[in-house]
Amino acid sequence: MNWNTIRSGLVNTAVAAGLLAGVAGAANADDKKLKIYLSLSYSGNSWQSEAANIVKALAATPPYDKAIELKEVISGTDVQAQISAYESMISDGAAGIISFPVSPTGLNRAIRKGCDKGTLFFMYDGTVTEPCAYNVSYITAGFGENTAQALVNVLGGKGNIFLSRGVPGNSVDKRHTDGAMAIFKKYPGIKVIAEYYGMWSDQTTQSETAKALAAHPDVDGIWAQAGEDGAIKALLATGSKKLVPVVGENSNGFRLALANPAYQAAGFKGVSSGSPPATAGYAFKLMMEMLTKGRKLTTHNIEYPLPWVPAEGVKLCPGDRFENGCNTFPAGKVPDSFVTEVFEANLLPELSLVTALDGKPTPGMTIQPLPGEVTAAPDTPGINCQKCNGNGDIYALTKIKATVQP
Amino acid sequence: MNAPVSNAVTRSLLRRLLGNGTLIVAFIYALLFTIFASRQSDALSQTSITDLFNNAAPLALAAAGGSLVVLTRGFDLSVAGVVALSNVLMATQVGEGPQQALLGLAVVCTAGLLVGAVNGILVAYIRLQSIASTLATMIVTSGLALLVLDAPGGTVPDFVADTLTDSAAGIVPVAALILLAVVLIWLLLRRTDWGVALYAVGADETAAGLAGIRTRRVKFFAYCLAGVFYALSGYMLSALTATGNPNAGNSYLLLTFAAIAIGGTSFSGGRGGVVGAMLGAATLTLLQKVLFSAGVSSFYTGIFQGVVMILAVLVAATSDRFASGRRA
Amino acid sequence: MSPPADTRGLRRAGLGSDVWNAIALFGLTALLIIASRWISSGFGGWEQTKAILVLSSFVVVVAFGQQLVILTGGLDLSIASVMTIGGVLTFNFVGASPTALIWGVPLILLVTAAIGGLNGIGVVWLRVPPFIMTLAMGIIVYGATLGITGGTPRGQASPALSALFTASVLDVPLVIYFMLAITICGSVVQLGTGFGRRLYAVGTNPAAAYIAGLPVRWLTFLTYAISGASAGLAGILMFGYAGGATLTMGQAYQLPSIAAVVVGGTSILGGSGLYIGAVGGALLLTTFSTVISSLGIAEGWRTVIYGLVILLALLVLREELYLWAGQLVARPVPLRQPGEPAAKPDA
Repeated sequence: MNWNTIRSGLVNTAVAAGLLAGVAGAANADDKKLKIYLSLSYSGNSWQSEAANIVKALAATPPYDKAIELKEVISGTDVQAQISAYESMISDGAAGIISFPVSPTGLNRAIRKGCDKGTLFFMYDGTVTEPCAYNVSYITAGFGENTAQALVNVLGGKGNIFLSRGVPGNSVDKRHTDGAMAIFKKYPGIKVIAEYYGMWSDQTTQSETAKALAAHPDVDGIWAQAGEDGAIKALLATGSKKLVPVVGENSNGFRLALANPAYQAAGFKGVSSGSPPATAGYAFKLMMEMLTKGRKLTTHNIEYPLPWVPAEGVKLCPGDRFENGCNTFPAGKVPDSFVTEVFEANLLPELSLVTALDGKPTPGMTIQPLPGEVTAAPDTPGINCQKCNGNGDIYALTKIKATVQP
Repeated sequence: MNAPVSNAVTRSLLRRLLGNGTLIVAFIYALLFTIFASRQSDALSQTSITDLFNNAAPLALAAAGGSLVVLTRGFDLSVAGVVALSNVLMATQVGEGPQQALLGLAVVCTAGLLVGAVNGILVAYIRLQSIASTLATMIVTSGLALLVLDAPGGTVPDFVADTLTDSAAGIVPVAALILLAVVLIWLLLRRTDWGVALYAVGADETAAGLAGIRTRRVKFFAYCLAGVFYALSGYMLSALTATGNPNAGNSYLLLTFAAIAIGGTSFSGGRGGVVGAMLGAATLTLLQKVLFSAGVSSFYTGIFQGVVMILAVLVAATSDRFASGRRA
Repeated sequence: MSPPADTRGLRRAGLGSDVWNAIALFGLTALLIIASRWISSGFGGWEQTKAILVLSSFVVVVAFGQQLVILTGGLDLSIASVMTIGGVLTFNFVGASPTALIWGVPLILLVTAAIGGLNGIGVVWLRVPPFIMTLAMGIIVYGATLGITGGTPRGQASPALSALFTASVLDVPLVIYFMLAITICGSVVQLGTGFGRRLYAVGTNPAAAYIAGLPVRWLTFLTYAISGASAGLAGILMFGYAGGATLTMGQAYQLPSIAAVVVGGTSILGGSGLYIGAVGGALLLTTFSTVISSLGIAEGWRTVIYGLVILLALLVLREELYLWAGQLVARPVPLRQPGEPAAKPDA
């Protein structure tokens, strides 16, 4: 090494130090930025990371990129760990916390403490029963009962079915299943011959469905929560020429299968509905409008519209943007387990595929204002309120009508 | 002639100090706390300290119970099931008021004692492998928890939730008092015949048997007491979360053992103790806060947790080796 | 936890009890499959047997490494994460390409073996207790996988690997032949090679094995590396089965891998047990869970029954019973070298 390189090295170091100082100065100026925390329970599946990516992308979209400082914290499935994370965020002076809550009730005390200190809490998808928090979710929109009716319609009111449930002891799983059973019970011809837990995971759903198929090859239809792509793979793996109708959630693999002419010919039908990751983006924008524009919300429980895509509604997206109501991606572009509901034309025009996959903002996009109206979610005990009564028929159908009578 | 003697004395004192896993973990805790306090301005505030104790208490109680079994060279996986069972019982079966709170305490402790007794019979008397039989009882008890409550819900009486997470006389966190009580009880128990026998059985069961110790009974009681501690852990968790969750125990399974190991209890039996395990649990919950305040990127939090876990055990083991001479 | 002296002597006389255990497990599995016809008309046939064999293949593969580790007195709690990283790496880097499969699979097995090897280094040379070393490694590997993938593993399904599950010869899916091959190879490694036989000596009494000149450290290290590789292989298989990989794919196999080994008659204290027993344990437990999940009862009861069944299996498959059965049929084959101490030294 000669003197010149050493000198240039020194100069570089000095320049770098200067830059660092500049950055540090800028960091001080950042103190005026709003502190927002994104608190995840865990990030172990596509759904979780897509939802988080959408929030991160929106936070980096102008003008929010200048207005806020977003920090992501993953605390795992342990309630105590998320309580601890909330406490840290609150004492760090968080203006808002946007979160996927690990428990509908266990976090209430920590949330209340935060509300008392002026922190705004927005929950997406999962809900909490603490009244000072805001819940933005599709849960109350009736995934269970609507998909159950769709299956009953396809089966003509009679047949043997499987229930592929989520995680045992989970309130979302219970709400979905209660809704579905409210419909199935009306039809004496519908028999639930197997009920198992797929843990909202494709692989577990696949192996549990395979077990159920071994016992009951005579199944006529499957009602599935997330993980439905595994149920289809289990059906295909039996090598049988005949497929059965499946209703399930929003994986790309499921939507592609619904649109597959060969499968349709073998008897495969169904509806894709359920939990949309885009909810997180809507919740985030609502929270930001409250923080930056002084928006007032009349209700703490906001319902996100339930996606509803029957086989004929599957529409491939040619590019990476939302175009003409497209809702599915070509095979190979995203994994089968990718949850497709990452676009929402009216609420979230800022999004594109890169927002969901990489958490990067769509180039050239700025934040668009939300519509003034929100849909209030009905009170559902144990889901979004603690000491309340569900009013009226909480399992009333909204997406589909019964075409067969019991 | 004096110098070498005093030298030897200091060396043996040093060895005793270093060989004490409890002191090592106390040191690690103090170190982490210093980092935490330097990064977060309100770390020494009343609420922050109460939060720390509240967060640590459930895991600390579970680890205290688990360490009793580990001292006998056993593994007790039933902790996950008992914590969940005790939590759902508290959320569904107990009413408001101090009397009901005591009744609830009695109910969950009885449940814990029963599960512990079953474990004790299976391991000490029928001589099944501890890890296998407690795996079975863990699965059975978590099934029972699901039967008591099939989705998160129920309400833990406000009396329990508020009293146990508050501060006594506005100064000392109630959780701290409870943990202190457990420590005192343990220090007493350790001096009883059973306490002495527990270490003897863990160190060498055959020798302990030859020395006239009723090894089966000693082990049986260890499992029973462990069950009660897990139930207490579920009780504290109920107070912390104020609700029931049939899956509440899942995360306790592995964390409990991590806390025990960090606390300096040897998995080959006979060394360590309850206090270390409780400090180990406190260290793990403090680590959550430290990593947060250090701004560790969320995805990589796990890596830091794992590395700290290994390092803590390594520090304890190395000093232990140093303490017991060159060869270990 | 160590058995009292009297049964130690008995056990040394008849290691055949391990063989009896395995036979009993396979017998129980067969009986249960036949008996399950009364629970559901679809049960009791070849279709159900096929499904059970396919589903147990993952546990059978994972259990090979886990059993070796437990045999030397350790425990591997990192297999869930290692399985996941095995599947995720295959998904990301091998995907649909058959040529990538040829170099990719050995490479991924090497990576997972290296992770297992790190466990080995921690346990053997740094003397971290296996429980903690592997638990922490599991957390670290999971964190790394999360970081590498950003939460969403991306890649393509591999038709070649999926063919293991979809293609059949003589109405037997390929993966079942594969499992059979693994079982045979595993048993040969364990019983027919010096490596396998030495592991028994290490597990029984590491100090004595050391004095006898065995490379105790390297042997122990190797079991962890093998456990990593077998978890990686199970992850690759799982990827073939599901046609994709997620970050939770290994989670369901951590406790079953230990349960299969322990129900299969391997002592958690090390030194005794056979891989074929763990295979039997895997089959029996998978069969039970299949049958129980077809019972139309609440999940809580299913869980309770599953736990009780494990307990019952442990009670029924106790060593004393085989010793007794072995004495009835006489002449058990001693696998252990005579004169080798059966007792583990107390630490």
